[in-house]
Amino acid sequence: MSTPEVSAMRAGNKAHWKPENLVGSISLKDLLFSNDYRHIALKGILTSLIMLAVGGSFAMIFRSELMVPDVQMLGAKVYMTLMTLHGMIMVFGFLIPMVVSICYYLMPRVLGTERLYWAGAAQWSYWLLIVAAVLLIVGRPDFTWTAYAPMSFRTGNPLIWMGHLAIFLVAVSEFLAGAVLVRNAFSGKGSWSNKPLIAWAAGTVGLLFMASTFPLAFIGLGLLGDGLEITAFFDPSRGGSVKFFLYVFWTYGHPAVYLPFVPAIAIIYTLMPRFLGYPMWSYWSGVVAFILLAIGAMPIGPHHFQPLYTISGPYERFVQFLTLLVFIPSVLHVFNWISTLFMKPIPASARRAIPFKFMILSIAFIVYGGATAFLNAQIAPDSDFIHNTYWIPAHFHAMFFGFVGQMAIAGFYYLYPYFTGRMFNQTLGNVHFWLWQIGLFTQITGMFVAGYLYFPRWVYDYLDIPGWATSQMFISMGGFLVGLGFIVFVANLAWSARYGKPAADDPWPVEHDGKTAPAAAPAE
Amino acid sequence: MENALGIWGPQATLMAITASFTILGLVMLTLAMFMGRRWKPSYTFEIGFIAVMIGLVFYADWSSVNTYTAYQQDLNSEERKVAGNYAGEGEAAFDRVITVIAFQWGFGFINENEEMARNAAVVAPGEKVLFKIVSNDVIHGFNIPVAQITAEIDPDEKREMWIRAPDEPGKYLIQCVNYCGVGHSQMKAWLVVQDAAGDQMQETGENSNVNA
Repeated sequence: MSTPEVSAMRAGNKAHWKPENLVGSISLKDLLFSNDYRHIALKGILTSLIMLAVGGSFAMIFRSELMVPDVQMLGAKVYMTLMTLHGMIMVFGFLIPMVVSICYYLMPRVLGTERLYWAGAAQWSYWLLIVAAVLLIVGRPDFTWTAYAPMSFRTGNPLIWMGHLAIFLVAVSEFLAGAVLVRNAFSGKGSWSNKPLIAWAAGTVGLLFMASTFPLAFIGLGLLGDGLEITAFFDPSRGGSVKFFLYVFWTYGHPAVYLPFVPAIAIIYTLMPRFLGYPMWSYWSGVVAFILLAIGAMPIGPHHFQPLYTISGPYERFVQFLTLLVFIPSVLHVFNWISTLFMKPIPASARRAIPFKFMILSIAFIVYGGATAFLNAQIAPDSDFIHNTYWIPAHFHAMFFGFVGQMAIAGFYYLYPYFTGRMFNQTLGNVHFWLWQIGLFTQITGMFVAGYLYFPRWVYDYLDIPGWATSQMFISMGGFLVGLGFIVFVANLAWSARYGKPAADDPWPVEHDGKTAPAAAPAE
Repeated sequence: MENALGIWGPQATLMAITASFTILGLVMLTLAMFMGRRWKPSYTFEIGFIAVMIGLVFYADWSSVNTYTAYQQDLNSEERKVAGNYAGEGEAAFDRVITVIAFQWGFGFINENEEMARNAAVVAPGEKVLFKIVSNDVIHGFNIPVAQITAEIDPDEKREMWIRAPDEPGKYLIQCVNYCGVGHSQMKAWLVVQDAAGDQMQETGENSNVNA
């Protein structure tokens, strides 16, 4: 660190800002409508945690159903509604808003602007998402998050239009969030070659948000119009095309997985230098990876319906090849993180810190889930045991929950003292940590095994075929451990907000061998 | 038994590569956390690593395309494009041709004598069977685990898929793998393998599983 200011700026490890009791002092009016970035972020994070509780309790219900073969307590309709809402609430209600809200908080701090530009748009983004969530819960769609036409408007549910309208509102909400991220990536002092990686992440993923939500908005409106028989874009019985639906949907659908993924990566790039007390191994490797990921995201959507092709021609091959290549930017990120950890002794303070532990294990899950992407991309094995068996939920639960979800929680634990002025309980934090790692590993491994045995997705009732019931039992047990961990987590938050140890001026000092390292930049 | 795609060999290699990535990543992460010696990898090392990855991308693409092209050789790519017309020379390559109608919610199987069976496709052991699949409502899936092959059928198009039937008589699962509405869970059928003598299949059920 010969030039500490520059390194600190680039690494985003500007030492710290002071903890405050935001939760204790905020008025309801401020929480709901204030444009202060801390209030917007706090509101987004708390709402996301409520969504996590709702989506998670749905999973607990259908996991009980799936533990053993045959029908226990849920009908097909109820099961599919819970499954659809689980997926939609977790992705659109928990993952994306949670990591974006954490970025809303971190960016003004790390970039030194102390304000969120275009906060009004962030406010609209939030409230539109709330309307969408209400529409989903009232309308109770059962068409899964992919809403494939023409099935999604032939459900016999008179309120199904609410589901279609909700898709449109999600698109508008995400577009606004993307605009806010891009605007704030441009804020702050310094040129692009001197910006923290969170700015690069927000800039690239923000553009991806803004570009990819147009197809989603079209899907929402198209389904709405087709369902009401005003339009016929996707209805083959009235001259529409299902293929058209698939291409439009997955032009959003693939970038959609990067919308929570990239901000979660940005949180790592912010937290890791902070806990280690030194900058990342390579700044430019991170920058290049962010740019490559954003460029590669949109054209590869068709890999989601590969076994639907009757012919694998040059275009399909191009998609397969690009999908395989998009593996590389993620490898660059993981390589960077592991190399950073290797560089110097890991401070004892980091090893103790709950957010740091979550971060390390989330990297383990990105390796575990991400490596299979290499296999999933190929048309041949995809046409065997991969496509739409439990292999795919295994892959995206490792990525979405094992990585993004755990990084969201790591970010939350990190910010906790800045929101409450107090530290959370360390023991309960450890209990939560271990319950989640064991639960998630059991659940995801069970899903991989079930997928390899051709267990199909979206069924509430299944035959007693060797291996199927056992793997389902493992998935349920893992799921229940995760649920238990969540209860411990919430109890910890609630208890510590009131009785926790008051946070020090720097809640996350870098200590090693009993010595505190000097802060990389002075506290404000 | 020979499976439809015949990809056990190349697939095993690719799965081994995938498993090696996973193990390599996890071992490096563990070492980074717990190894005493510290190490700053050079940038050349990263570039070399990425070059290996790009090599594997080429290999995976080549392997997948080879496998799939070989599988598709006997299928009528030209005929398939003509709506409703399945007649083609390619059919001569198969011992049996079955037309499949996928619907909400079930499968109808029509044999060469235009006899229709609901939810059971009857074939002889070891036969090479062509399935010509249509859907008249929504997108459905068609997966035969024992043959290790999956297809999806969208209502705009027709789809061909072939398998090598198992040598062992018994009944094997056929299932829809794409969510197609509330009855999706019930959308399954049986591939009934019975020998040429037409003997009544023993109802022991010992082979009624995907792994037989």
